[in-house]
Amino acid sequence: MTLSLVSLVFIAVIGLLAIGLYALLVVRHLIKVVVALQILAKGAILGFILAGRINGQIGLGESLALTIIIVDTIVAVIGLSLAVQIRHHMGTLDVNALTRLRR
Amino acid sequence: MANFLILLILGLPWLGALLVWWVSDKRSKAQTVLAVLFSVLAGAASLMLIPFASESVALNIPLGGAFGDFTFVADGLGVYLAVIATIIGSLAVIFSVDYMRGEAQLGRYYALVLFFIGGMAGLVLTSNLLLMFVFWEITALCSYALISFHSDDPKAVYGGIKALIVTQFGGIGLLAGALLIYSYSDNYDLQAFIANPQILPPSVLAVAAFGFLVAAAAKSAQFPFQTWLPDAMEAPTPISALIHAATMVNAGVYLLARFYPAFENVPGWREAVVVVGVVTALMAALMALVSNDLKRVLAYSTVSQLGYMVYAIGAGGVFASQFHLMSHSVFKALLFLAAGAVIHSVGTRDMRQMGGLGVQMPLVRTVFAIGALALAGIPILNGFWSKELILEAGYTHGPLWAWIVMVVCAGLTALYTFRCFWLVFAGKPRSSLNGHDAGTAMKVALIPLAVGAFLTELLAGPFAHLMKSTVPSIEIEAETTLLVLGEVVTTPLTLVVLAVVALGLAAWWWREKLAGLSSALAEVGRAAADSFGFEVVNRGIVIGTNWLAEKLRHTQTGLLNWNILGIAAGFLLVLIILVIGG
Amino acid sequence: MVWFILIMAGMLICAAMAVVARRLLVSAIWLAIASALLALLIYLLGAPELAVIELSVGAGLVTVLFVFAISIAGEESNMQQSLLPKWLAGIVVLVSIGLTGWLCLPDLGFNMPQLVPTRLSTVLWELRGADVILQVILIFAGVLGVLGLLSDEQSTVPKERDA
Repeated sequence: MTLSLVSLVFIAVIGLLAIGLYALLVVRHLIKVVVALQILAKGAILGFILAGRINGQIGLGESLALTIIIVDTIVAVIGLSLAVQIRHHMGTLDVNALTRLRR
Repeated sequence: MANFLILLILGLPWLGALLVWWVSDKRSKAQTVLAVLFSVLAGAASLMLIPFASESVALNIPLGGAFGDFTFVADGLGVYLAVIATIIGSLAVIFSVDYMRGEAQLGRYYALVLFFIGGMAGLVLTSNLLLMFVFWEITALCSYALISFHSDDPKAVYGGIKALIVTQFGGIGLLAGALLIYSYSDNYDLQAFIANPQILPPSVLAVAAFGFLVAAAAKSAQFPFQTWLPDAMEAPTPISALIHAATMVNAGVYLLARFYPAFENVPGWREAVVVVGVVTALMAALMALVSNDLKRVLAYSTVSQLGYMVYAIGAGGVFASQFHLMSHSVFKALLFLAAGAVIHSVGTRDMRQMGGLGVQMPLVRTVFAIGALALAGIPILNGFWSKELILEAGYTHGPLWAWIVMVVCAGLTALYTFRCFWLVFAGKPRSSLNGHDAGTAMKVALIPLAVGAFLTELLAGPFAHLMKSTVPSIEIEAETTLLVLGEVVTTPLTLVVLAVVALGLAAWWWREKLAGLSSALAEVGRAAADSFGFEVVNRGIVIGTNWLAEKLRHTQTGLLNWNILGIAAGFLLVLIILVIGG
Repeated sequence: MVWFILIMAGMLICAAMAVVARRLLVSAIWLAIASALLALLIYLLGAPELAVIELSVGAGLVTVLFVFAISIAGEESNMQQSLLPKWLAGIVVLVSIGLTGWLCLPDLGFNMPQLVPTRLSTVLWELRGADVILQVILIFAGVLGVLGLLSDEQSTVPKERDA
């Protein structure tokens, strides 16, 4: 079966989402968790662009993808500043050791 | 215009809640002023809504499909209850100015009260099933938070949690019914469902009907859930007046009244409603008779009167039940606020230590007497007219045994009311308690209610007309006030009931002579003090829920990888269901 | 077509390398390359403005942030062993994401329609105006959040709690 362009891009979307989810299940370092979230977000962005392109409303797809970019950038900013603070106060960045809310 | 007013009724209390919280406790005077201002404004807005009542959708907030549109309908049933909620709410807030003077964390208190008022008004005005459930939960949350307001008192905390768990347990019935209705009719609109209940197949309709009955029984503290309301009396008294007498507990009765046209043909439903109402009224009246705590007597009395309303609905007299709801809100709030004035000044709730307070608190004694007369069903006052209407409806449409029991309950009501009044205000002081009369704010709250207790029966005609014209699904014979009241006075049944009430009053007066009878009934008295064993049911529900929560706590590991695995597994489950379901 | 396959394969490989890399700095670099390739892909799909935004934000801003954070917070070398067995994670991911893809595939259609050139700014302001307002609020909230987090050192007096 000859793969059309649409299916190819769709496979790329699925691939990115799968890699991001796998990373979330496996990594233990907080900064790597932020990397994993970024990869998931990239999958979502590509998915929106693809959907917009297929439906002929590329402008709408772009707007929604823009929202995703802003949201995931803010998540990265706050996540990284959290990581810096946690390193300072708790000494470790192992997510499995950070199970308590207080010091 | 109606849509703007509905926005005001909902938005003003919520805005007030936000502002009160934002102003912060450092400026508690400003908080008090804001709270009073916003609640009074909301009351005014709801009064202005009355001329605009109609059965069509007044306010529609379209949300694009997923949850239906958030619609609000200002029909007769909803408008009157909204008026009651906001006006009695504002009076309770005014009363709180004196009652809660000097307490800490007033911001939390006023914000929660305002949030509650908005939520209750929204509950009765909405016609979207999902939104109704949301408002139902909001009122339950505020009730819990306010009962446990003095969070350092373990009895208050326990009372709050018990109230929350028992009412939420009933709320499952509401959710199940609502979801069933949604799945068959594909939209959340109440009015569409009520106009056409045959969308649901009979067995499903029966499940929804009984689910709603369980939810209403739990919320209105009916049998078998009646023990949470007395324990909720740990709340500050204005809260007991507002939430547990005049508004939130009426939500269950409102639910039954609203959905009556849809469920009236479900076999066995009306009989079940009548049984629930009658059993509750009788049990609660007996429990009020043997209780020694002033607020508990009033709490049991509330449960008993709610039993009357539920009985009326079961017998088909929806208008009678709503009319009694209106009168009951007024005189019960009056009684609770007067009791609050007493408790605030003497510092105890035990009636055995009171006595002879009438000399020291003349105004409170007078208003309490007015409320008590209304509760007992003495002519002229509003309680008499509405109770007679209920008993009339019950006689013509309901089973005879139920009517007889309810008439006996009317006598018991008179008996325990008179006992309560006597123990607190009359006779010689039993201990040296210093009472002072009510403060200004309390007076401002009490007097309108006392006047209302004389006058609200005049609204019978307009209320009936409003309901008839705006709620077409319920059959109401709407006549003018004069006709309605005249009818009540001229039926011979009224004389029978009055005779029983007089008997009840006389029984207290001659209590020494009847001492032999009362010792024979001592067994019943002891059982009544134990809530006839139903405390076990309610405590069992609370203990069971806590045990389940403890067990489920172990799944909250806090480990990121496990949590993500849980999310992925849940996602997988949903996908599999989708695949199998096609 | 061939270009597309190359770019997409490159992007997936870079993402995978970002996950398995041992050093955090290397991981951040791989992520930057993946962002750049994604931006190229978006451009080829007909959304040039978004491609520029993705390139500058994803490959620029976020990478700089990562480098800053990694230099301050530092690496930790003892975290190569994962809590869950890797094969379990792999199976869960494969089944759930694969199932999603398989479910979505029939609705896709196989034609890439002709591109109608629209200006992003028009759509953004007229159709999605509420989105723009929400994005501004979000950015504001993010700034407040970072300020709150990073100023934790200075305040030694616990703030007075509201009622």
